[in-house]
Amino acid sequence: MKPKLILGIVAIVGFTSMLMYNFGESISSYTTFETAAEMGNAHIPGTWDKEKEANFSRETRQFTFYMKDEAGNSKKVIYPKAKPNNFEQADRLVVIGEMRGDVFYANEMLMKCPSKYNDADPGQFTKASEG
Amino acid sequence: MLGIFGKIFISATFVVAILSAIFYFLSASRDNDRYFRIGNWLFGLKTLFLVLASAILVYLLFQHQFQYYYVFNYSSLDLNPRYLWSAFYGGQEGSFMLWIFFSAFFGFGLMKWTRKPYKAAVLFFLMLTQVFLLSMLLGWDLGAFKLGASPFRTIAEEMPNAPFLRANPDFVPADGSGLNDLLKSPWMMIHPPILFVGFSMMTIPYCFAMAALWKRKYNEWVNPALPWTLSANVALLTAIFLGGYWAYVTLSFGGFWAWDPVENASLVPWLIGTAGIHSMIIQRKSSIAQKSSILLAILAYVAVVYETFLTRSGILADSSVHSFVDLGLYNQLLAFMLVITGLGIGMFLWRYKELPSPQKESNILSREFMTVTGSMLLLILGLVIILGTSSPIVGKLFVANPTPPEISFYNDWSMPIVMIMAVFTVIGQFLFWKKYDAESLAADLTYPLLATSVITIATIMIGDVRNFYYMIYLFVGFFAVIGNGWVLIRLAVQKPRLTGGALTHIGFGTLLIGILASSAYNSPLVDQRTANYNAAVERGEITDEQGFTVTQKEEMLSLNLNEPVVINNEYTVTYEGYELDNSVRRGQQTYKIKFEPLDGGSAFYMNPEVYPMLTSSTEDNIQWSVDPDVRTGLFSDIYLYVGGSAYVQERNDRLEERKQVMQPASGDEQEDGQENQAQKILFNPGQTIDVGKFKIRFVNYAKTDSADLPPNTSIGVRAEVEVIHPASNQIFTIEPLFAVYAEDGKSFIYSPPSEIAEHELSFQFTRINPTENNIELTITGLEEEYGEEWVLIIADEKPFISVVWAGTFILMAGFSVSIFRHWSREKRKNNE
Repeated sequence: MKPKLILGIVAIVGFTSMLMYNFGESISSYTTFETAAEMGNAHIPGTWDKEKEANFSRETRQFTFYMKDEAGNSKKVIYPKAKPNNFEQADRLVVIGEMRGDVFYANEMLMKCPSKYNDADPGQFTKASEG
Repeated sequence: MLGIFGKIFISATFVVAILSAIFYFLSASRDNDRYFRIGNWLFGLKTLFLVLASAILVYLLFQHQFQYYYVFNYSSLDLNPRYLWSAFYGGQEGSFMLWIFFSAFFGFGLMKWTRKPYKAAVLFFLMLTQVFLLSMLLGWDLGAFKLGASPFRTIAEEMPNAPFLRANPDFVPADGSGLNDLLKSPWMMIHPPILFVGFSMMTIPYCFAMAALWKRKYNEWVNPALPWTLSANVALLTAIFLGGYWAYVTLSFGGFWAWDPVENASLVPWLIGTAGIHSMIIQRKSSIAQKSSILLAILAYVAVVYETFLTRSGILADSSVHSFVDLGLYNQLLAFMLVITGLGIGMFLWRYKELPSPQKESNILSREFMTVTGSMLLLILGLVIILGTSSPIVGKLFVANPTPPEISFYNDWSMPIVMIMAVFTVIGQFLFWKKYDAESLAADLTYPLLATSVITIATIMIGDVRNFYYMIYLFVGFFAVIGNGWVLIRLAVQKPRLTGGALTHIGFGTLLIGILASSAYNSPLVDQRTANYNAAVERGEITDEQGFTVTQKEEMLSLNLNEPVVINNEYTVTYEGYELDNSVRRGQQTYKIKFEPLDGGSAFYMNPEVYPMLTSSTEDNIQWSVDPDVRTGLFSDIYLYVGGSAYVQERNDRLEERKQVMQPASGDEQEDGQENQAQKILFNPGQTIDVGKFKIRFVNYAKTDSADLPPNTSIGVRAEVEVIHPASNQIFTIEPLFAVYAEDGKSFIYSPPSEIAEHELSFQFTRINPTENNIELTITGLEEEYGEEWVLIIADEKPFISVVWAGTFILMAGFSVSIFRHWSREKRKNNE
């Protein structure tokens, strides 16, 4: 084989494996509060625990609430920003951050709002959740 | 009724489109002109049906026929007519229709301008893509599965099990649920149409490449395909720009780009399309790169379809901030993608051996090598972004339940790639117009390099750049601008029509510099206390109650009414209250934040807004949404939005209270009593007293009309009272009445309440003390404990974001110059 071709193949294989390796490193699994304790940056999906208090403190400038993860554990989450726009509306939250002790410090938070299509209950008329 | 016609028209469009595709296929394979003409007639008929179906949907929207689910879901009675047009493509179904509409429109162009032997084959492939797109709109129930989702389905068809529809099958909602407030923006009105213009134009190079493979004419297709590809690129770039600008001024994530899958969905086809343009240009010049031109033209459209699949199938539901409506089209979209990709790659491999290979290898210092490398870099960048966006699928190779990659994945890989590209643009442009060897090239590049070095060093010193990586990045960015500028100046004198490439590359360099400046040097505007706190956080000195080191910085600014705060040693910022406005959106507050530059520049106001989201708010649950304000400057923007305010807090608290009152368990009388506690205050004429959030001024006594008085009145007088709400700058004037009348020989006091409904206040004039010359007002509705009037601001200073826009505009201008050049050449050929 021509040396140029070999060089090309080596370059492509090298580039691809580096890319895939780095890609693999930069993604993680959606997880729960329990396993997040051993992780650095964790993505935890869950729902807002409406039973417990949620408020934004003007002193600490943090939004604090409780979230129930998919295993059913409810933990305090501290989010260092204002309460996001569609927080109450979200049927699912993903908090991204780290667990410290019994508190989860979220650096980022994603809200999944019920898509209009699945949510056949716009509040204007009677309950139609089976729709 | 009309909806049935709509469905029939769409079905007819679908059937006629298939017929048209068959005739185009026959015409292409047998080289028959008659079949081609029949195909064209069918194409026209198909377009007519499509236009009729679209007209019906528009009519239903404008007539507010809410029994149709699409109309109900995306519009409402109070929607401004221009946004009724946006509602047309507010949902998936309508946006598919728009896409097909543009595709049909450009089909006529292809019919007119495409030459043999590609003519029929190109139109066949165009029809094939339209058949797939149309199938998404059918709404045919085939028993085992449903084909497509019709925009004309009724609410009853949409929710067959809903109890209220079972009870009353002819139920028509009184109003629609309305268009999402965030989409009520002029930018969002024009963004989707331009995006679909781009998507449908990007189909055309695919069709040409496929036609070339079919007809085994691998060279000539590039000439007609090039202006189409360039136009597709300008359209996509414009759409990306509009989307980014909309995100910047409307959403509160504080930037124009977030590597969100939806954004990537328009960027990747643009990158691969641009790669294709490079390859086609070099193929025209020197008959090499046929293989890559064909492959890239195919891949650009495959990227469009793949990204459409990702964003519309619901597969990205967890990883994108945008919520997608999942219409259950997963299988259809998958089939579309597999057919387009399989056909494209399959044809390419089938003809691969026939495809011409370059006779001799090109020299590294040749325009061929440079341009093809540039094109490969663009492709690689596109593939890296596709990989990141595909994390829900590809990520499964690594972990179960994969999350999207960190933003740093995109940044870490795209930065070095674009840096190499930047260098290649300059060398490529020099070599494009003149032959060089290493020595002469080095000689010609001396001055541009010198100029670049001087400007880079100056920038590093002025901008206090400390990061070594950024220094190199700046250097190559400036090199791209200056090097290509050099070429541009030389060309502009002789052949201004050929400057498209140089201009585009200047735009690219400008964009690179703008992106670095605006994102890496973005600084939050905070007061001194917060700045000190953040510095301490950075040093790791702050610990929280649990003893953990705090790593999160504070990026908020808390302002009290009329209390100036100095921020970043740059501005004095004062919150001067808000204005309530019910005309546009009920309960919208426009805040007045005054900025006074400390260096003595002129003061300015910023007016961020907070409003209740109408589509998702209900009586007892208001969804507040924010509208940031951006002050655009030549050197830096100030971007600011409201994170919370006393007004919003109070409204929420009131709703919370009301909810508790409505719960039967709690003693509601008691609660009511507390809220209505009256306060008695004495006033002298002309005196102003601060009561809670209000300033109340007893102006003077006023005369009263005897008609208002009860019979047998001995005294009847009114008090002119001004109630000032400084936060919202409102002044209310009321004239409560005080009367003493006799009945059955006894004296009674009559003091009817005067209300200020907006603040739920009620005033009674309850006593006059002639000796002390004062009066007593009884005020109900004042809160016992009133807080201060405050607002929380999240503000950023973003340097040189204008450079990002400038870079984008130069890119657009460069591509447009190239379109004119290649288009006028094509037109000449057509006229021959």
